[in-house]
Amino acid sequence: MSNRKLSVDALVIGGGIAGLQAAIDLGDQGYQVLIVEKAPSIGGKMISLSKVFPTLDCSSCICTPRMAAASHHKNISIMTYAEVEATTRTHDGFEATVLQKPRYVMEDDCTGCRLCEFACPVELPHEFEGGLGARKAVYVPFNNAIPQIALVDLENCILCGRCEKVCPTKAINFLQEPERVTVEAGAVILATGYTLSDMSAKEQYGGGRLKNVLDGLQVERLLAPHGPYGRVLRPGDGKIPDSVAYVQCAGSRDRSLGVPYCSRVCCMYAIKQAMLLSGSLPLVDITIYYMDIRAFGKGFEQFYQNAKAMGIEFVKAKVAKITEDDQQNPVLRIEVMEEDGRVEERTHDMVVLSPAVLPGWDPSRAVLVDTDDEDGFVHCVQPKLAPGYTSQAGIFVAGNAAGPKDIPDSIVEAGAAAAEASAYLRGIGRRGYEPEPASGDRSALVGEVT
Amino acid sequence: MSVRVNPDLREELMGFGGDDVSACMNCGNCTAICPLSKDSTVFPRKAIRYMQLGMKDHLFRSPEPWLCYYCGECSDTCPRDANPGETMMAARRYLTSLYDWTGLSKRLYLSAAWELGLLLFVALIVGALFLFLHGPLVRDHVELTTFAPTAWVELGDWILAAMLSFFLLTNAYRMSRAILGGEKVPLSLGLREFKTLLIHGVTQKRWQECESPTRWLKHLLLVTAYATMLLMVVVFLRWFQTDEIRSIWHPTRLLGYYATAILLYVTADAMISRLRKREQIHKHSDLTDWMFLILLFLTTLTGIFVHAFRLADWPMPTYIIYVIHLMIAVPMLVIEVPFGKWAHLLYRPLAVYLTTVRDKMKAAPAGTQASAG
Repeated sequence: MSNRKLSVDALVIGGGIAGLQAAIDLGDQGYQVLIVEKAPSIGGKMISLSKVFPTLDCSSCICTPRMAAASHHKNISIMTYAEVEATTRTHDGFEATVLQKPRYVMEDDCTGCRLCEFACPVELPHEFEGGLGARKAVYVPFNNAIPQIALVDLENCILCGRCEKVCPTKAINFLQEPERVTVEAGAVILATGYTLSDMSAKEQYGGGRLKNVLDGLQVERLLAPHGPYGRVLRPGDGKIPDSVAYVQCAGSRDRSLGVPYCSRVCCMYAIKQAMLLSGSLPLVDITIYYMDIRAFGKGFEQFYQNAKAMGIEFVKAKVAKITEDDQQNPVLRIEVMEEDGRVEERTHDMVVLSPAVLPGWDPSRAVLVDTDDEDGFVHCVQPKLAPGYTSQAGIFVAGNAAGPKDIPDSIVEAGAAAAEASAYLRGIGRRGYEPEPASGDRSALVGEVT
Repeated sequence: MSVRVNPDLREELMGFGGDDVSACMNCGNCTAICPLSKDSTVFPRKAIRYMQLGMKDHLFRSPEPWLCYYCGECSDTCPRDANPGETMMAARRYLTSLYDWTGLSKRLYLSAAWELGLLLFVALIVGALFLFLHGPLVRDHVELTTFAPTAWVELGDWILAAMLSFFLLTNAYRMSRAILGGEKVPLSLGLREFKTLLIHGVTQKRWQECESPTRWLKHLLLVTAYATMLLMVVVFLRWFQTDEIRSIWHPTRLLGYYATAILLYVTADAMISRLRKREQIHKHSDLTDWMFLILLFLTTLTGIFVHAFRLADWPMPTYIIYVIHLMIAVPMLVIEVPFGKWAHLLYRPLAVYLTTVRDKMKAAPAGTQASAG
């Protein structure tokens, strides 16, 4: 295995909207930046969303230009399908070992023509579509993926060789090996995002077995113009749903599931999706079962009031149980608290859960920084005055890596982290936040920013 | 209707072993997950709300804590780890103390010294009675009926039974008044629904609706064993307490063995489960929960010894263990039945009965109105 060496000013871990924004902000200032993204495309979660609250802008229309800007930026290089394995502090910054996973497709040769994809006989659930659509065993991650390079899912590949035969540039290479790249960087920005808690986490909600119970991200795909079905259908039987229910806090604010905190985005995305569903299915009845509606951002309360005015029903109740009737309709059990407190079972055609927002990656082993014991998000040593500071001088954090937050907040934090990193690279410490003296001594790594 | 908030109730309840009810955020998960919460009686959230606001009168009038059989699903899934199941248990202890007009129940629940002291006091009275009033000691073979003449013991039984019934029934009357809110029940309805009381008292069948059926089975077995023993020592003592060694197939021996085996198994099982703290119902143990089990277990154990020593024909050990047996059994019954945890044997079926009656009374005038309209 060869050991390529790269040297940059800043290493950005994570190519979602926060990572891209931080990289662009640093790149624009003339710093050389490397983005390392573990997925085969940059864009993160945002590129899979339909529209964004509270403006109802098309998510792709905002995210794709950012992806393109980063990928075409003269100061930014991008490694996709790569993971940071280890980081050490050197005399003038950091040295990271990055594992480039093999795509089994020569990146320089692939043109993204997708002939391999059309020839492949294997069909698998598509991760990008929340498992609702299908992909092949060799595939370009999604339509607007950057880079437009195919990859082979070797675990599910039957090695029939059809892709190899049809590829016009002979880019398929089953002998590709993983490669370790050593990256020297003056500063690091963590923008590793989030993941949703698994649908199987709560047995009372069917443990992920109920076909017409989806999570918020799956419904984003149903609502996206280029989604898996091209329209809103319930996945169990393809029926157009007449009544859709949202179950809020289906993972967050629940100590019995080990997630005591609020995931911050679910109220707003449920309201947003309810509005969008009303647009796609004008006759649909939508009920949002909530514990509290948290509409705290700029324009959010108005957005919530608009949804109410549109006729979306808000019911204050924690859904205790979801079962299924013989037509695969999910049945919710609630206490009707706003009336006489009776227990009622309500049947809907489709149910959307708002699971918990969990850390997307545990950085503590690979990147030296501390995480919070309670939730696993990156520990912020100065949460008020310098929210981008981690327990390690020179390593900054932005977006959901530090805790659940929405797109506007992630972008603000990305800009802030870029500014902090820039100051750090130029040796300008903020008063009271002087970076630690650079040292090759590992014991220096333990020290916290004071 | 205005409600005056009384923050003291929250702390008062914590004395009865309840968790801090202020942890509850009233999401309603507990009520909706509860397999027993239905129709006009929904819990636990409403009862917990009463506790949070200090609505003592509302709580006093609630049959709901008695309709809760502590399946534990509410506590398993509570988003705040607020232990609604244990809160209902604390509510039952609190209500037991409110129903009790003597005020003794409250002291027993709130103070370990009172609980243990009173148990010891009654035990010493029983011991003293035997010390001074026992019959002649036959030392060459066991003659229990001479040491403790059956007629005297039987008299003691009846006095005890009358006393306990008096306290328990007067307390139950107070409970009925509270739940019915002073409304007069038509006699015919009251009598017609009496079967509800009997059925639930004998079968405890609401427990079937909990997810785990084994607990219902264990409890039902325990009740049959307990009832068997109680009948034999109170009503049929003259057949049960005897110096004659009967055939192993004799009904009193068979019934005795059945009841003993069940009592021993179920109490031991419950104590182990309380130590392990795996099942929700056994995760939290108040002193009174422990005393209930320990005394029942020891009564059974000493009972076994009485029987064994009698069979072995060891006179003195038999007499001594017999006195110890009663020094455990009598205080247990005196303290626990009218003033403690055992009162639930009446309060639970009574609550089912009273809510059924109450609902039918409410439904009746509505029905006549509908037919008139």
